[in-house]
Amino acid sequence: MSNNYFNTLPLREQLEQLGKCRFMSMDEFSDGVEALKGKKMVVIGCGAQGLNQGLNLRDSGLDVSYALRPAAIAEKRQSWKNATENGFVVGTYEELIPTADVVLNLTPDKQHTPVVEAVMPLMKEGACLSYSHGFNIVEEGMKIREDLTVIMVAPKCPGSEVRAEYVRGFGVPTLIAVHEDNDPKGEGLALAKAYAVGTGGHKAGVLMSSFIAEVKSDLMGEQTILCGMLQTGSTLCFDKMVEKGIDAGYASKLIQFGWETVTEALKYGGVTNMLDRLSNPAKIKAFDLSEELKVIMRPLYNKHQDDIIDGTFSRVMMEDWANDDKNLLGWRAETAETNFEKTPAGDVEISEQEFFDNGILMVAMVKAGVELAFETMTAAGIIAESAYYESLHETPLIANTIARKKLYEMNATISDTAEYGCYLYNHACLPLLGDFMKDIDTDVIGKGLEVADTGVDNARLIEVNEALRSHPVEAIGKVLRGHMADMKKIV
Amino acid sequence: MAFFCPFTAYIGIMNSIIVENYSAEFGESFTLSNINWTLEENQHWVITGTNGSGKSALSAILAGYGDNLSGSISGLPERVELVSFEAQAELIERELKKDDADIMDVISEGTPVREILEEGKNDNPDFDSDLLEELISKFKLEHMLERSFRKLSTGETRKIMLIRALVNKPGLLILDEPFDGLDVDSMAMLNELLASQVDRIPMVLVLNRFDEMPEFITHVAYTDKGQLHHTVDVNDKQAYDDLYQLLHLKTTDLEVPETDNSDRPPALKPEDPLVRLSNIKVAYADNEVITGLDWTINPGEHWQLSGPNGSGKTCLLNLITGDHPQCYTNDIFVFGMQRGNGETIWQIKQYIGYVSTALQWEYRVSISLRNVIISGFHDSIGMYTKSSDKEKQVANQWLDLLGMKDRADQPYNQLSFGDQRLLLIARAMVKHPTLLILDEPCLGLDDINRQLVLALIEKICASGETTVLYVNHHAEDQISGISKFKQL
Repeated sequence: MSNNYFNTLPLREQLEQLGKCRFMSMDEFSDGVEALKGKKMVVIGCGAQGLNQGLNLRDSGLDVSYALRPAAIAEKRQSWKNATENGFVVGTYEELIPTADVVLNLTPDKQHTPVVEAVMPLMKEGACLSYSHGFNIVEEGMKIREDLTVIMVAPKCPGSEVRAEYVRGFGVPTLIAVHEDNDPKGEGLALAKAYAVGTGGHKAGVLMSSFIAEVKSDLMGEQTILCGMLQTGSTLCFDKMVEKGIDAGYASKLIQFGWETVTEALKYGGVTNMLDRLSNPAKIKAFDLSEELKVIMRPLYNKHQDDIIDGTFSRVMMEDWANDDKNLLGWRAETAETNFEKTPAGDVEISEQEFFDNGILMVAMVKAGVELAFETMTAAGIIAESAYYESLHETPLIANTIARKKLYEMNATISDTAEYGCYLYNHACLPLLGDFMKDIDTDVIGKGLEVADTGVDNARLIEVNEALRSHPVEAIGKVLRGHMADMKKIV
Repeated sequence: MAFFCPFTAYIGIMNSIIVENYSAEFGESFTLSNINWTLEENQHWVITGTNGSGKSALSAILAGYGDNLSGSISGLPERVELVSFEAQAELIERELKKDDADIMDVISEGTPVREILEEGKNDNPDFDSDLLEELISKFKLEHMLERSFRKLSTGETRKIMLIRALVNKPGLLILDEPFDGLDVDSMAMLNELLASQVDRIPMVLVLNRFDEMPEFITHVAYTDKGQLHHTVDVNDKQAYDDLYQLLHLKTTDLEVPETDNSDRPPALKPEDPLVRLSNIKVAYADNEVITGLDWTINPGEHWQLSGPNGSGKTCLLNLITGDHPQCYTNDIFVFGMQRGNGETIWQIKQYIGYVSTALQWEYRVSISLRNVIISGFHDSIGMYTKSSDKEKQVANQWLDLLGMKDRADQPYNQLSFGDQRLLLIARAMVKHPTLLILDEPCLGLDDINRQLVLALIEKICASGETTVLYVNHHAEDQISGISKFKQL
């Protein structure tokens, strides 16, 4: 049985680790890939992250090869094809791991324990083991051999984007961390920085964090605002619209593409900009709805955060892993049966602005979810930078997946861990919002406010604008988006 | 068994299409205004004009594109098919989006060619499966039916788009630059194919090149500054010759703008070749694209590379630029570096200027025209660092040359296909690269700009600092400085 690493630490240490997150400046990367030059990097796993990170690292002048299981090689599975067609050396664990200076574990979370157990005995003295997610270390309490350096380099984007941005001459925002219990030679940070340069991440901004902060904030974000809120919101809004006589095709389209459209505004200018896209009366309405939602949902956000911090969440989920994913598969099947999922988007034109005007409740849900997740995380000791990335920053990425193929696509593309947490949230949140939804009508979802006069009370508008702009997620968002803009496109 | 059939010869299915006082907006930056145009039965049209004059827009309104501001179109058939670079790019973009769908860790294989071809099958009762099979065998496409659409070459995707349009049996077929991107054999085949369909399908072709005009064309429409300037019956010899003259203005007094010399890549040994490829082999699971190829490019040796669609031209170029992953499994020496010894692709790209259709598809950013040119100094798609005053000054000279000076700060992604291409050519040339790779550079350019670009290439060939590698199908686009030829 696994041992939760976080729970073994004294409170002082827990708080220190949770509070780690710093936006690094460009000149901290002036050594480039030097720390990895001439070293042998062996990637385990050749899915989208594994392949695309490997392509970037090689194009940055580094020596990359792929270790696959014998069956994958013998049966010429997709991972074998990915690696060989791209001209990489491929071998078994036994062939390649003993020669590796750095082993990059880019397999899915669930496989981490068996993979690391298989790889560790083969690794040479003093080598480095790299993760892109810390669940295995933090939640499963995996103990890594003392002579090995353990780091994390996590690009905050899908694998295909990691590659596409690199080829353009840029990169994607990346989080790095060093597992302090495993940094015997004190070279962890140098290796992680060089790795981030090799994938192009340093050009888009790097956050220096800790394994613990990464895991606890990542889990919280994905369960609540990112996936859970969008899933719950989708079914509630759809069913309400149909109940009120709105064409089901229209309702389906408004939701499927609405999340993407409204969160695009979020990406550019935060919650403030998203609400600024509404008319003044609609903005005030969305604000009031979100305040109501925040009161109702706050206990749920607290519960998720508490369960994540004390390890309850991962323990329960791992029990389900051991039980052949019974809950996960059952919930997945249930999602496929929701009316929203079963109703194809209608062949109607919805303009960009109409998604806002007729989706006031969706805007309110996004606002409430982002702010609650951010507030809950920071209250638990997670620093604002981490909380921003794991709430507001990633919401548009998830919304994009719903635009492609609805909830099915979202749940198929996120990790099993995120999917499990999303269903947990959904099950608790649906009944929680039952009474709230009874008072909802098509003015806030489906048709938009039908007011003859768009006038509002000055004092009230000033109050709402002030509340929007002074929320702490907006303050840190402004700083981080500013960093990104400095580095990103000069438009 | 005999049927009584009231319509034995069903020729000229089209009623007249009448466009009246029609104005339409395309994005924020382009408006087509006050079009009056009648396309009568049994007419086949060519639309021509300079880049950015509204040729494609005029054809596209017949397919329902553009936001109608005023006026009307009547008599349109139920099914109109439009094949254009924009439509091709849209389809490719759709396929690329599928590829993004891997936040977890799945690599999408993309839609197979057959599925793309048969998309109309379910909802179009006129879908002609027999014709599809006939065209597949005529164009010899059997081997690529199961391949992923987005892995095809430029010319191959073009053919697929054309066939897809034909088998849907449209009541009007609009082809925007159908011959660009096709090799000589495919061009002849397409011409024959279109000629065989003229009795059944009225056609409107957008063409930049007069020499490509098929014989069945009956009328020419000439666009200028977003208006239908005039129309000409091809049998009216005088009017037709005047129009031809108008499109053949000569470019004179051309100078290649200077470059910014402050950040040149390390000098190369003059005795080394720029590129040496030895015994090249490129293969995918199912087929070998290139086998046993050797090629050396010495400084100052200008080359022309040619070969049919799908023969591996782009693949070969990508081995040189470092964009093909199998460059690491081959014996490749470029710019003083033996590949696979710790060099970065940026070290290689600093010696290269590059333009191709694939680049144009990847160049999907909303930066200013000026910054597109400056990005050539940084080998990037988009701009991610601040530009220097000198870079801006050089870029301005190029914009002046292209006649785009007053649009320097406008967004690139709202330009027409041809104007985008011109900018990307300037981007490739801006740093006076050691090796300038032009993969069908004139695709989508009108006659005037084609001559401008060819003249620029000749100047650069003669300058001595740049070696040119030129890929082209059109025999008539010869560059005088090029003396070496490579055929795939």
